[in-house]
Amino acid sequence: MKKNILFLVLLTGIFTACEKDDFCIENPVTSKLIIDFYDDTNRETLKNVQRFSIIAEGKTDSLFVNKTFNSISIPLNSLTLETIYTLKKNDDTGAAADNKKEFVSRSCGFKVIFNNLEFSSNTNSWITDFTPTTIINLDDQSTAHVQIFH
Amino acid sequence: MYKYFISICLLFVFAENYSQEQKKDSIIYQEKDTVIYKTNYGLRLGMDISRPLFSSLYSNYNGLEIIADYRIKKNVYIAAEIGFEEKTSIEDYSNSTSKGNYIRLGLNYNAYDNWLDMNNEIFVGYRYGFSLFNQTLNNYTTNVSDMENGSYFPAVLNTVGQASTSLNTHWSEFMIGIKAETLHNLFIGFSFSYKILMSVKDPENFMTLFSPGFNRIFESNTGFGINYTISYLIPFSKK
Repeated sequence: MKKNILFLVLLTGIFTACEKDDFCIENPVTSKLIIDFYDDTNRETLKNVQRFSIIAEGKTDSLFVNKTFNSISIPLNSLTLETIYTLKKNDDTGAAADNKKEFVSRSCGFKVIFNNLEFSSNTNSWITDFTPTTIINLDDQSTAHVQIFH
Repeated sequence: MYKYFISICLLFVFAENYSQEQKKDSIIYQEKDTVIYKTNYGLRLGMDISRPLFSSLYSNYNGLEIIADYRIKKNVYIAAEIGFEEKTSIEDYSNSTSKGNYIRLGLNYNAYDNWLDMNNEIFVGYRYGFSLFNQTLNNYTTNVSDMENGSYFPAVLNTVGQASTSLNTHWSEFMIGIKAETLHNLFIGFSFSYKILMSVKDPENFMTLFSPGFNRIFESNTGFGINYTISYLIPFSKK
Protein backbone atom coordinates (compact mmCIF):
# COMPACT_ATOMS: atom_id res chain seq x y z
CA MET A 1 0.00 0.00 0.00
CA LYS A 2 2.62 2.47 1.10
CA LYS A 3 4.99 1.32 -1.60
CA ASN A 4 2.21 1.75 -4.14
CA ILE A 5 1.60 5.34 -3.08
CA LEU A 6 5.28 6.18 -3.39
CA PHE A 7 5.44 4.46 -6.74
CA LEU A 8 2.39 6.35 -7.99
CA VAL A 9 3.78 9.70 -6.92
CA LEU A 10 7.09 8.96 -8.62
CA LEU A 11 5.35 7.80 -11.77
CA THR A 12 3.11 10.85 -12.07
CA GLY A 13 6.17 12.97 -11.40
CA ILE A 14 8.06 11.35 -14.23
CA PHE A 15 5.19 11.68 -16.70
CA THR A 16 4.12 15.20 -15.88
CA ALA A 17 7.50 16.74 -15.17
CA CYS A 18 8.54 16.83 -18.83
CA GLU A 19 8.82 20.52 -19.56
CA LYS A 20 8.84 22.17 -22.94
CA ASP A 21 12.02 24.08 -23.62
CA ASP A 22 11.26 27.75 -23.54
CA PHE A 23 12.91 28.82 -26.77
CA CYS A 24 11.58 31.53 -29.00
CA ILE A 25 10.55 29.78 -32.19
CA GLU A 26 8.52 32.62 -33.67
CA ASN A 27 10.16 34.16 -36.69
CA PRO A 28 9.81 37.05 -37.03
CA VAL A 29 8.43 38.17 -33.67
CA THR A 30 7.76 41.69 -34.89
CA SER A 31 5.82 41.57 -38.15
CA LYS A 32 7.55 42.64 -41.30
CA LEU A 33 5.95 44.43 -44.18
CA ILE A 34 5.26 42.04 -47.05
CA ILE A 35 5.20 43.50 -50.54
CA ASP A 36 4.11 41.62 -53.66
CA PHE A 37 5.03 42.79 -57.14
CA TYR A 38 2.39 42.51 -59.87
CA ASP A 39 2.32 43.12 -63.58
CA ASP A 40 0.90 46.53 -64.37
CA THR A 41 -0.95 45.44 -67.49
CA ASN A 42 -2.09 42.05 -66.27
CA ARG A 43 -2.89 42.91 -62.66
CA GLU A 44 -3.66 39.37 -61.50
CA THR A 45 -0.22 37.94 -62.14
CA LEU A 46 2.94 38.35 -60.12
CA LYS A 47 5.87 39.81 -61.99
CA ASN A 48 9.49 39.52 -60.99
CA VAL A 49 11.60 42.58 -60.41
CA GLN A 50 15.02 42.02 -61.95
CA ARG A 51 18.29 43.17 -60.40
CA PHE A 52 16.44 44.52 -57.44
CA SER A 53 18.16 46.27 -54.52
CA ILE A 54 16.63 47.81 -51.45
CA ILE A 55 18.13 50.08 -48.83
CA ALA A 56 16.63 52.10 -46.03
CA GLU A 57 17.33 55.78 -45.66
CA GLY A 58 20.25 56.42 -43.36
CA LYS A 59 21.61 52.91 -43.68
CA THR A 60 24.82 52.04 -45.44
CA ASP A 61 24.11 48.36 -45.92
CA SER A 62 21.43 47.15 -48.27
CA LEU A 63 18.75 44.73 -47.22
CA PHE A 64 19.02 42.94 -50.56
CA VAL A 65 21.29 43.55 -53.51
CA ASN A 66 20.75 42.44 -57.09
CA LYS A 67 18.11 39.86 -56.40
CA THR A 68 15.13 38.82 -58.44
CA PHE A 69 11.87 38.79 -56.52
CA ASN A 70 8.17 38.97 -56.92
CA SER A 71 7.62 39.18 -53.16
CA ILE A 72 9.71 40.60 -50.34
CA SER A 73 9.29 41.16 -46.65
CA ILE A 74 11.01 44.14 -45.12
CA PRO A 75 11.44 45.22 -41.51
CA LEU A 76 10.24 48.63 -40.39
CA ASN A 77 12.10 50.90 -38.01
CA SER A 78 10.34 50.93 -34.64
CA LEU A 79 12.33 53.90 -33.36
CA THR A 80 11.27 56.40 -36.00
CA LEU A 81 7.85 57.43 -37.19
CA GLU A 82 8.84 57.06 -40.81
CA THR A 83 10.77 54.36 -42.61
CA ILE A 84 11.95 55.28 -46.09
CA TYR A 85 13.23 52.58 -48.40
CA THR A 86 14.83 53.06 -51.73
CA LEU A 87 13.74 50.28 -54.03
CA LYS A 88 16.35 50.29 -56.75
CA LYS A 89 15.22 50.50 -60.10
CA ASN A 90 15.28 53.98 -58.58
CA ASP A 91 12.34 54.79 -56.40
CA ASP A 92 11.41 55.77 -52.88
CA THR A 93 8.60 54.38 -50.90
CA GLY A 94 7.81 55.67 -47.46
CA ALA A 95 5.93 53.99 -44.67
CA ALA A 96 4.83 56.08 -41.72
CA ALA A 97 3.48 54.44 -38.60
CA ASP A 98 2.80 54.75 -34.91
CA ASN A 99 3.71 51.67 -32.97
CA LYS A 100 2.94 49.93 -29.74
CA LYS A 101 4.73 47.15 -27.90
CA GLU A 102 2.99 43.92 -27.10
CA PHE A 103 4.33 41.13 -24.90
CA VAL A 104 4.69 37.77 -26.62
CA SER A 105 6.45 35.37 -24.26
CA ARG A 106 9.33 34.95 -21.84
CA SER A 107 11.75 33.90 -24.55
CA CYS A 108 10.47 36.08 -27.40
CA GLY A 109 10.00 39.23 -25.36
CA PHE A 110 8.06 42.17 -26.73
CA LYS A 111 7.08 42.63 -30.33
CA VAL A 112 6.28 45.86 -32.06
CA ILE A 113 2.90 46.31 -33.71
CA PHE A 114 2.86 49.08 -36.25
CA ASN A 115 -0.40 51.02 -36.33
CA ASN A 116 -1.93 53.32 -38.90
CA LEU A 117 0.59 52.75 -41.62
CA GLU A 118 0.55 55.09 -44.59
CA PHE A 119 2.41 54.39 -47.80
CA SER A 120 3.64 56.82 -50.37
CA SER A 121 5.86 56.64 -53.37
CA ASN A 122 7.65 59.06 -55.64
CA THR A 123 5.98 59.75 -58.91
CA ASN A 124 8.07 59.35 -62.02
CA SER A 125 9.38 55.90 -61.26
CA TRP A 126 9.24 52.32 -62.38
CA ILE A 127 6.38 51.81 -59.94
CA THR A 128 3.17 52.70 -61.69
CA ASP A 129 0.75 52.04 -58.87
CA PHE A 130 0.38 50.46 -55.44
CA THR A 131 -2.46 49.43 -53.16
CA PRO A 132 -3.52 49.91 -50.39
CA THR A 133 -2.29 53.29 -49.17
CA THR A 134 -3.04 52.65 -45.49
CA ILE A 135 -2.98 49.72 -43.07
CA ILE A 136 -4.43 49.91 -39.57
CA ASN A 137 -2.45 47.09 -37.95
CA LEU A 138 0.67 45.32 -39.13
CA ASP A 139 0.36 42.13 -37.12
CA ASP A 140 0.05 39.30 -39.59
CA GLN A 141 2.55 37.46 -41.74
CA SER A 142 0.26 35.22 -43.75
CA THR A 143 -0.58 37.49 -46.65
CA ALA A 144 1.02 40.40 -48.46
CA HIS A 145 0.30 43.84 -47.10
CA VAL A 146 1.08 45.93 -50.16
CA GLN A 147 0.82 45.20 -53.87
CA ILE A 148 3.11 47.12 -56.16
CA PHE A 149 2.41 47.23 -59.89
CA HIS A 150 5.15 47.73 -62.41
CA MET B 1 45.46 -17.56 41.14
CA TYR B 2 45.73 -16.43 37.46
CA LYS B 3 46.70 -19.94 36.56
CA TYR B 4 43.18 -21.22 37.20
CA PHE B 5 41.17 -18.47 35.52
CA ILE B 6 40.30 -20.42 32.42
CA SER B 7 39.54 -23.52 34.38
CA ILE B 8 37.15 -21.62 36.62
CA CYS B 9 35.34 -20.22 33.60
CA LEU B 10 34.91 -23.67 32.15
CA LEU B 11 33.37 -24.78 35.38
CA PHE B 12 30.67 -22.11 35.15
CA VAL B 13 29.89 -23.00 31.56
CA PHE B 14 29.15 -26.48 32.64
CA ALA B 15 27.00 -25.30 35.51
CA GLU B 16 24.95 -23.14 33.19
CA ASN B 17 24.49 -25.91 30.72
CA TYR B 18 22.98 -28.07 33.34
CA SER B 19 20.68 -25.37 34.57
CA GLN B 20 19.18 -24.95 31.07
CA GLU B 21 17.98 -28.48 30.77
CA GLN B 22 14.24 -28.82 30.77
CA LYS B 23 12.02 -31.42 32.23
CA LYS B 24 10.33 -33.41 29.56
CA ASP B 25 6.69 -32.84 30.57
CA SER B 26 6.80 -29.19 31.52
CA ILE B 27 4.62 -26.76 29.52
CA ILE B 28 6.17 -23.52 28.42
CA TYR B 29 4.19 -20.37 29.00
CA GLN B 30 5.54 -17.65 26.88
CA GLU B 31 4.38 -14.12 27.41
CA LYS B 32 3.45 -12.19 24.29
CA ASP B 33 5.60 -9.16 23.42
CA THR B 34 3.32 -6.29 24.36
CA VAL B 35 5.85 -3.47 24.39
CA ILE B 36 4.49 -0.44 22.47
CA TYR B 37 7.07 2.04 21.33
CA LYS B 38 5.77 5.52 21.92
CA THR B 39 6.81 8.48 19.85
CA ASN B 40 6.48 12.19 20.40
CA TYR B 41 3.50 14.14 19.14
CA GLY B 42 3.69 17.88 18.92
CA LEU B 43 4.41 20.97 16.94
CA ARG B 44 7.49 20.95 14.78
CA LEU B 45 8.91 24.35 13.89
CA GLY B 46 11.77 25.14 11.59
CA MET B 47 13.11 26.92 8.58
CA ASP B 48 14.29 26.27 5.09
CA ILE B 49 18.07 26.63 5.04
CA SER B 50 18.46 26.53 1.28
CA ARG B 51 16.85 29.92 0.86
CA PRO B 52 19.30 31.96 2.96
CA LEU B 53 22.05 30.02 1.21
CA PHE B 54 20.75 30.89 -2.26
CA SER B 55 20.27 34.50 -1.09
CA SER B 56 23.97 34.75 -0.33
CA LEU B 57 25.03 32.90 -3.48
CA TYR B 58 22.91 34.74 -6.05
CA SER B 59 22.63 38.49 -6.22
CA ASN B 60 19.24 38.32 -7.96
CA TYR B 61 17.55 36.27 -5.22
CA ASN B 62 16.38 36.88 -1.67
CA GLY B 63 14.23 34.54 0.35
CA LEU B 64 13.23 33.17 3.70
CA GLU B 65 10.82 30.40 4.68
CA ILE B 66 9.43 29.28 8.03
CA ILE B 67 8.02 25.77 8.18
CA ALA B 68 5.73 24.08 10.68
CA ASP B 69 3.88 20.81 11.01
CA TYR B 70 1.61 19.20 13.55
CA ARG B 71 1.17 15.45 13.91
CA ILE B 72 -2.48 14.45 14.00
CA LYS B 73 -2.23 10.70 13.43
CA LYS B 74 0.52 8.13 13.49
CA ASN B 75 1.36 8.81 9.87
CA VAL B 76 -0.38 12.08 9.10
CA TYR B 77 0.87 15.61 9.63
CA ILE B 78 -0.73 18.96 8.94
CA ALA B 79 1.99 21.06 7.37
CA ALA B 80 2.43 24.69 6.44
CA GLU B 81 5.14 26.95 5.08
CA ILE B 82 5.14 30.71 4.97
CA GLY B 83 7.80 32.76 3.33
CA PHE B 84 9.09 35.77 1.49
CA GLU B 85 10.88 35.76 -1.84
CA GLU B 86 12.32 38.34 -4.19
CA LYS B 87 13.76 37.41 -7.52
CA THR B 88 14.95 39.25 -10.60
CA SER B 89 14.28 37.27 -13.76
CA ILE B 90 16.89 38.07 -16.37
CA GLU B 91 15.65 37.05 -19.80
CA ASP B 92 16.93 37.70 -23.33
CA TYR B 93 14.52 40.56 -23.94
CA SER B 94 13.34 41.57 -20.46
CA ASN B 95 14.43 42.08 -16.89
CA SER B 96 11.80 41.98 -14.15
CA THR B 97 11.65 41.64 -10.38
CA SER B 98 8.99 39.75 -8.44
CA LYS B 99 8.67 40.33 -4.74
CA GLY B 100 6.14 39.10 -2.22
CA ASN B 101 4.87 36.66 0.37
CA TYR B 102 3.36 33.23 0.18
CA ILE B 103 1.75 30.51 2.24
CA ARG B 104 1.48 26.81 1.55
CA LEU B 105 -0.95 24.62 3.49
CA GLY B 106 -1.50 20.89 3.36
CA LEU B 107 -0.85 17.38 4.60
CA ASN B 108 2.09 15.03 4.76
CA TYR B 109 1.66 11.28 4.84
CA ASN B 110 4.54 9.27 6.24
CA ALA B 111 5.01 6.12 4.19
CA TYR B 112 7.95 4.84 6.23
CA ASP B 113 7.68 2.07 8.87
CA ASN B 114 9.88 3.07 11.75
CA TRP B 115 11.91 0.64 13.84
CA LEU B 116 11.25 0.69 17.56
CA ASP B 117 10.78 4.27 18.72
CA MET B 118 12.53 5.92 15.81
CA ASN B 119 10.81 8.87 14.24
CA ASN B 120 11.96 9.21 10.66
CA GLU B 121 9.88 9.93 7.59
CA ILE B 122 9.70 9.23 3.92
CA PHE B 123 6.68 11.27 3.09
CA VAL B 124 4.40 12.32 0.29
CA GLY B 125 2.45 15.51 0.62
CA TYR B 126 -0.03 17.85 -0.91
CA ARG B 127 -0.06 21.63 -0.56
CA TYR B 128 -2.35 24.41 -1.59
CA GLY B 129 -0.29 27.51 -2.23
CA PHE B 130 -1.18 31.16 -2.36
CA SER B 131 1.08 34.08 -3.08
CA LEU B 132 0.58 37.82 -3.05
CA PHE B 133 3.28 39.85 -4.75
CA ASN B 134 4.39 42.75 -6.91
CA GLN B 135 6.26 42.49 -10.17
CA THR B 136 8.22 45.30 -11.75
CA LEU B 137 9.36 45.25 -15.34
CA ASN B 138 12.74 46.94 -14.93
CA ASN B 139 13.64 47.16 -18.59
CA TYR B 140 13.08 45.47 -21.91
CA THR B 141 14.23 45.47 -25.50
CA THR B 142 11.75 45.04 -28.31
CA ASN B 143 12.38 41.98 -30.41
CA VAL B 144 12.75 43.37 -33.92
CA SER B 145 15.33 41.00 -35.32
CA ASP B 146 14.55 38.14 -37.64
CA MET B 147 16.36 35.26 -39.24
CA GLU B 148 16.60 36.66 -42.77
CA ASN B 149 17.85 40.16 -42.06
CA GLY B 150 19.12 39.98 -38.48
CA SER B 151 18.73 43.34 -36.76
CA TYR B 152 18.51 45.67 -39.75
CA PHE B 153 17.07 48.42 -37.59
CA PRO B 154 18.33 48.94 -34.06
CA ALA B 155 16.27 48.34 -30.94
CA VAL B 156 16.78 50.41 -27.81
CA LEU B 157 16.64 49.35 -24.21
CA ASN B 158 13.45 50.71 -22.66
CA THR B 159 14.17 51.49 -19.03
CA VAL B 160 10.76 52.80 -18.05
CA GLY B 161 9.90 50.86 -14.91
CA GLN B 162 6.45 49.35 -15.05
CA ALA B 163 5.31 48.24 -11.60
CA SER B 164 2.33 45.95 -11.14
CA THR B 165 1.04 45.59 -7.61
CA SER B 166 -1.22 43.08 -5.84
CA LEU B 167 -0.68 40.23 -8.25
CA ASN B 168 -1.53 36.77 -7.00
CA THR B 169 -1.16 33.10 -7.80
CA HIS B 170 -2.90 29.97 -6.52
CA TRP B 171 -1.41 26.57 -7.05
CA SER B 172 -1.43 22.90 -6.09
CA GLU B 173 1.73 21.17 -5.10
CA PHE B 174 2.76 17.53 -4.77
CA MET B 175 5.74 16.76 -2.61
CA ILE B 176 7.99 13.85 -1.89
CA GLY B 177 10.68 13.99 0.74
CA ILE B 178 12.51 12.64 3.73
CA LYS B 179 12.94 13.75 7.31
CA ALA B 180 15.43 12.28 9.73
CA GLU B 181 15.75 12.81 13.46
CA THR B 182 19.44 13.60 13.74
CA LEU B 183 19.51 14.74 17.36
CA HIS B 184 16.81 14.27 19.95
CA ASN B 185 13.76 16.13 18.55
CA LEU B 186 15.87 17.86 15.88
CA PHE B 187 15.02 17.00 12.30
CA ILE B 188 16.72 17.56 8.98
CA GLY B 189 14.63 17.17 5.89
CA PHE B 190 14.77 17.34 2.16
CA SER B 191 11.85 17.45 -0.22
CA PHE B 192 11.10 17.97 -3.87
CA SER B 193 7.86 19.39 -5.14
CA TYR B 194 6.01 19.62 -8.41
CA LYS B 195 3.62 22.52 -8.71
CA ILE B 196 0.65 23.11 -10.95
CA LEU B 197 -0.62 26.64 -11.32
CA MET B 198 -4.37 26.98 -10.81
CA SER B 199 -4.74 30.70 -11.37
CA VAL B 200 -2.51 33.67 -11.93
CA LYS B 201 -3.13 37.37 -12.15
CA ASP B 202 -0.69 38.64 -14.76
CA PRO B 203 0.50 42.23 -15.11
CA GLU B 204 -1.02 44.14 -17.99
CA ASN B 205 0.76 43.51 -21.28
CA PHE B 206 3.30 41.31 -19.55
CA MET B 207 3.24 38.05 -17.65
CA THR B 208 4.21 36.70 -14.26
CA LEU B 209 7.59 35.11 -14.82
CA PHE B 210 8.29 34.28 -11.18
CA SER B 211 5.89 33.90 -8.29
CA PRO B 212 7.12 33.74 -4.69
CA GLY B 213 6.65 30.23 -3.31
CA PHE B 214 6.03 28.83 -6.76
CA ASN B 215 9.33 29.70 -8.42
CA ARG B 216 9.71 30.18 -12.13
CA ILE B 217 6.46 29.67 -14.01
CA PHE B 218 7.11 27.45 -16.98
CA GLU B 219 5.19 27.66 -20.27
CA SER B 220 2.87 24.83 -19.29
CA ASN B 221 1.98 26.67 -16.04
CA THR B 222 3.99 24.28 -13.91
CA GLY B 223 6.92 24.68 -11.59
CA PHE B 224 9.38 22.88 -9.38
CA GLY B 225 10.73 23.48 -5.92
CA ILE B 226 13.07 22.02 -3.37
CA ASN B 227 13.22 22.43 0.38
CA TYR B 228 16.12 21.72 2.65
CA THR B 229 14.85 22.15 6.16
CA ILE B 230 15.96 22.03 9.74
CA SER B 231 13.25 21.82 12.38
CA TYR B 232 12.72 21.24 16.09
CA LEU B 233 9.88 19.23 17.58
CA ILE B 234 8.18 20.68 20.62
CA PRO B 235 6.65 17.54 22.12
CA PHE B 236 3.13 17.84 23.57
CA SER B 237 2.47 14.19 24.29
CA LYS B 238 3.74 10.67 23.76
CA LYS B 239 1.52 8.21 21.99
